[in-house]
Amino acid sequence: MRTFEIKSPVYIKSGFTVVGPKEGDGNFGDCFDIVLKDDLWCEKSYEKCESKMHRDAITGAIKKAGLKKEDIDILIGGDLLNELSSTSLAARNFPIAFLGLYNACSTFGESMIVGAMLISGGYANTVTCSTSSHFSSAERQYRFPLELGNQRPPTAQWTVTGAGCTVLSAEKPRLINEQVYDEDIIAIDENMNLDPKDVEKYKKSIEKQKGIINKDKSNIIEDNFHKEMNDYIKTNSHCVKVTGGTLGRVIDLGIDDEANMGAAMAPAACETILTHFKESGRDPSYYDGIFTGDLGRFGKETLQYLLSKEGITLPDYYMDTGASYFTPEQKTFQGGSGAGCVNTAFNGYILKRMQRGELRRVLIVPTGALLNKDTPLQKETIPGIAHAFTLESESFL
Amino acid sequence: MIDRIEYQKYVSDNQPKSPMVRTLIAAFIVGGIICCIGEGIGDILKLIFKDMSEKDVATWESCIMIFLGSFFTALGLYDKLGHYAGGGSIIPITGFANSVTSPAMEYNREGVFFGICAKMFVIAGPIIVFGVTASFIVGFIGYFVV
Amino acid sequence: MEIFLTYLKVFAVGGLVCLIGQILINKTKMSSARILVLYLLVGVVLEVTGAFEPMKQFAGSGVTIPIMGFGSNLAKGALEGVAEKGFMGAIAGGMSAVAAGLTTAIVCGFVFGLLSKSRSKKI
Repeated sequence: MRTFEIKSPVYIKSGFTVVGPKEGDGNFGDCFDIVLKDDLWCEKSYEKCESKMHRDAITGAIKKAGLKKEDIDILIGGDLLNELSSTSLAARNFPIAFLGLYNACSTFGESMIVGAMLISGGYANTVTCSTSSHFSSAERQYRFPLELGNQRPPTAQWTVTGAGCTVLSAEKPRLINEQVYDEDIIAIDENMNLDPKDVEKYKKSIEKQKGIINKDKSNIIEDNFHKEMNDYIKTNSHCVKVTGGTLGRVIDLGIDDEANMGAAMAPAACETILTHFKESGRDPSYYDGIFTGDLGRFGKETLQYLLSKEGITLPDYYMDTGASYFTPEQKTFQGGSGAGCVNTAFNGYILKRMQRGELRRVLIVPTGALLNKDTPLQKETIPGIAHAFTLESESFL
Repeated sequence: MIDRIEYQKYVSDNQPKSPMVRTLIAAFIVGGIICCIGEGIGDILKLIFKDMSEKDVATWESCIMIFLGSFFTALGLYDKLGHYAGGGSIIPITGFANSVTSPAMEYNREGVFFGICAKMFVIAGPIIVFGVTASFIVGFIGYFVV
Repeated sequence: MEIFLTYLKVFAVGGLVCLIGQILINKTKMSSARILVLYLLVGVVLEVTGAFEPMKQFAGSGVTIPIMGFGSNLAKGALEGVAEKGFMGAIAGGMSAVAAGLTTAIVCGFVFGLLSKSRSKKI
């Protein structure tokens, strides 16, 4: 039995997102808390930038939930880089226990499931679930140098530059989210134990950083608090609970093209969805929102084909966050992918819709392709994995 | 669940393909233009240095083209050209220069020793190894035949 | 008029060489390094079989600027080395023929690698 139910209630306290400039121009552009103008964020390398985005997503989510760092019991997260470097470098800024997870692009699903299980089992009261990915750091690790003049194949996906964090808790969330300002994000952290000499340098770089947050797109800028997708001033009419899920199995149907990850992941998503419906006794109409992770446009078609062969038709409102992430004009071919894709789409878009009561029962299936740079060279095929978790929103009243 | 072989067939039949006509035209035009630039540099060299031998002109020509390839890579323009032109910008000698310079720029952040110098040939390494080995084999056979 | 015809030949042949490469990229999903190696070896074979010289006479830079020219130089250098210095020439000839180009590539790569860092892609 891979499907489970969360017995004692686990609430989502808050969600916070930091994304790069290209993501800010995408379809979910209005939903993000921070949109950067430059995807280096005044750091010296893209890996450092990813780690900083990850750190600030966690800081922002904790602030937005109206909590302090000390209130968090466990920090759960992961990313795509070797040995989870960006997550662990971000975690050194927090005096909190840390669990690092890796499931490629489905890490977010895994961390939500682990977090909900820990809280439900009574081992923790409040946890943060965070993931991050960065186009430039993923590109150099998995593919080619950025300046190499090669053509991306039409099946390729675009790794999302973004980090997001969800705070899970056994307690009910507040009616109104605590306001986060850009000063909260880029303030000097006492825990960093900076050399006094470096503090001056750091302050200067902070001054520069203030201009690096996109004032028109970011929701944490005061002028933007009135925006429709913003959730700082508005009262949330509903609170969101994690109700259960289905753990995924590694499925490999022999796809060996590392540029076609949608095809490698679709069978895993299909298997997880089938198992979920079979073991829970539900059908697609039970949910009013079904989202898969980052299958891309072709992967989405493949999943629908695979499910139709098993006699399941996904409803019209089924959405693949990767395929919907970017507009076609942005030339990402198949759409977004990466650990930050489903995470930022969830915290930016899906969660806010649920808090407003537009979606009541939601199934989210983040998918991941488990490869590294060497396995395709060693003639290995690419296995896929997908975890499913379900959410329900209930009225505060 | 679907059968392994059936699924692979479905994927290879249905996956999106590169737009043939557009990419071929782009490769033809850009490749042709880069070759013409090379020819132009050769002609200018011949005009300036009238007593230069044919062989030296060819050597200078390829050196200048390699420099230009590296230079436009450093400016960040060559990867944009490559996105549109594909084979048109990979196959000329400027593409070789791009494949040497781009890893050097990419691993700049890891320092000079183990960054730039060590990683410079991650893409171009096979080209040099194959080329040198092939020339040795040609010379070796040539030695015994002649 | 004659110069126009020369450039037309260079353009057509050079474009055709790249077009064949693009067909390979579209059909086989070869990475750029594999394409370059393939063309280099084609250049070596053409030089050894003697087909490269007439092509060069016809199209000039249309065949020498594509990486085939690099391959043909390697093979030509090795054969010339054998004729001049015997077995030592077989070892050293190829590299010495392309030494100028290779040195330029390495020095330019190093200098530009020091001067500039890679930037994120927009498309």
